[in-house]
Amino acid sequence: MKEIWERIIVEPFERFVGMIASFLPNLLVSLILIVAGIVCGWLTRRVITGLLRVVKADRFFKKSGMMQALERSGLKDSPSRLIGQLAGWLVVLVFTVIALTALKVPAVENLLSQMLLYLPNLFVAVVILMIGFILGNFLQRTVLIAGVNAGVRLARTASRCVQYGVYFFATAMALEQLGIGRETVLIAFAIVFGGVVLALALAFGLGGRAIAREYLERLIKGGDDEPDDFHHL
Amino acid sequence: MQRLAAVLREDVCRQIGEIGEADVLVGIPSFNNARTIGHVVRAAQAGLGKYFSSCRAVLVNSDGGSTDETLDVVRQASVDFGAVLVQNQVQPLHKILTPYVGLPGKGSAFRTIFEIARALKVKACAVVDSDLRSITPEWFELLLRPVLQSGFDYVAPYYHRHKFDGTITNTIVYPMTRALFGKQIRQPIGGDFGFSGRLSEFYANQDVWESDVARYGIDIWMTGTAVANGFRVCQAFLGAKIHDPKDPGSDLSAMLHQVVGALFSLMETYRSSWESVVGSMPVPTFGFVYAVGLEPVSVNLAGMLDKMRMGVRELRDVYCQIVSPESMADLVAAADLNDERFALPDETWVRLIYDFAIACHRRTMNREHLIKSLTPLYLGKVASFVIECRDSDAVAVEQRLEALCQAFERNKPYLVSRWEIPR
Repeated sequence: MKEIWERIIVEPFERFVGMIASFLPNLLVSLILIVAGIVCGWLTRRVITGLLRVVKADRFFKKSGMMQALERSGLKDSPSRLIGQLAGWLVVLVFTVIALTALKVPAVENLLSQMLLYLPNLFVAVVILMIGFILGNFLQRTVLIAGVNAGVRLARTASRCVQYGVYFFATAMALEQLGIGRETVLIAFAIVFGGVVLALALAFGLGGRAIAREYLERLIKGGDDEPDDFHHL
Repeated sequence: MQRLAAVLREDVCRQIGEIGEADVLVGIPSFNNARTIGHVVRAAQAGLGKYFSSCRAVLVNSDGGSTDETLDVVRQASVDFGAVLVQNQVQPLHKILTPYVGLPGKGSAFRTIFEIARALKVKACAVVDSDLRSITPEWFELLLRPVLQSGFDYVAPYYHRHKFDGTITNTIVYPMTRALFGKQIRQPIGGDFGFSGRLSEFYANQDVWESDVARYGIDIWMTGTAVANGFRVCQAFLGAKIHDPKDPGSDLSAMLHQVVGALFSLMETYRSSWESVVGSMPVPTFGFVYAVGLEPVSVNLAGMLDKMRMGVRELRDVYCQIVSPESMADLVAAADLNDERFALPDETWVRLIYDFAIACHRRTMNREHLIKSLTPLYLGKVASFVIECRDSDAVAVEQRLEALCQAFERNKPYLVSRWEIPR
């Protein structure tokens, strides 16, 4: 009876206590790492925000239109502060990952290694989105100003089309980088892009036939608007 | 000679070597001007023969790759000295025909002329546009004599023009250079200038040939650089300025961007020269001023107002980043007026221009976007000026421009006080 008692209750309990005893130092290390991560994250946030303020990064974000977009989306913090916070959280995340690895639990280790392998894709996707955002805003303003200066009535619409086209293209690229619905994104892009081109071709070819002819005639024969003939310089 | 080889072909370098040295040089930039350049070259030949017969003279045609007969016309152009009453022995005129290197534009053409002037150690240079129909031999005396005899370094042109001609000059460049540097140079971007060999060398030594200066910005850069660096400046009355009809393909916003961009760059470079200047002084003027008949020009007022209103409507987000809220309110109020009552007051206009200069200095947005977005507002000011001066004579128009210049001078503290304050 005693032997059965020891085999069923005592031995597993001792093994459990042994496991707890060997796990406790790992847990302690993990906790220390998490606390260190929080401190380092806080420091990183302060340093990055301070540095960005010194190099006047907010001015660049204002110029690129990012600041206005953030304001429109309800974020009141400056981009410098947001980037500082992001960097801080990234440091906390890295420390948390290290802390979880320090636990030496095989299932957690497996999950983390997969996550770590995926992180570069996430980083590239974020960079693609940022470049797409800045480029989209820049091209939107270029088309708008050129259109207004040329007296094009649809300058704003054209500029928005260019802007959203670049956004859409960047999003498609980012999703492809993340491996989300790779083929779906590609097919969706092809359908939308092809559809827009076809719609424009049909609209201009059928609906705007007269306008197209008039436009081409004006282009070839010269406009019938009263021209200015003074020199600006 | 090494510098020369970098901007000129070998045969042209050899030709310069054969000429050796010269006293005066006339430079003519060109691009497909076969129709008009012959007249300009003949006027130069006659002017040099008539007024500088004892000087060793060189004519340089700096061409941008013309595909018409421009070069043949320059080569073959000759003048009958008897017909223009030149009786004394005339030194042979050397003609140098060369393509220029660098960015396509008038500034790059001038750079080649400056380099040749330096190589030939000339005492005085004159540059004239190749599309002029009103140029006469006397222009060369008026542009070169103040340099050779009176010790001036820079001779700006002073012409009579149609009241609606030269609107970038009248509404922006003249009033602003006058307010900045305190010199009343009436045609700072006239395009036809005289300058000393010393100043030509100074120009050639500047590292600006990859900027707007290489294009339409060259004229304001030459004037601004001469004034800001303390060279002796005067102006010469040349009569009427009549061009060939303008190129319909010329892009106003690109032109405005290059000229205004070059002016704003001068403000950056020569801040210490303009910041403390108050008021303005006339510069010595040579030549006998007389009234001239001018060809009428047509103005599409409705088109200009339409573009101005469209700009205020569509570019409001852009303007809000550049101009002050008060100026923006004035602009919106002006855009709401009907065609007959439309007016963009001087005070509003001056503050708008100063706001654009400050925004460019602070790099509020992409420089090209910023300056090109000025185009609709500029058209609004031109429309306002046309409405106001529709029935005015030349004297009244000059008085009106004087009032605008004074508004620029009066508001200069607004510019100075905001120049260094971060927004």
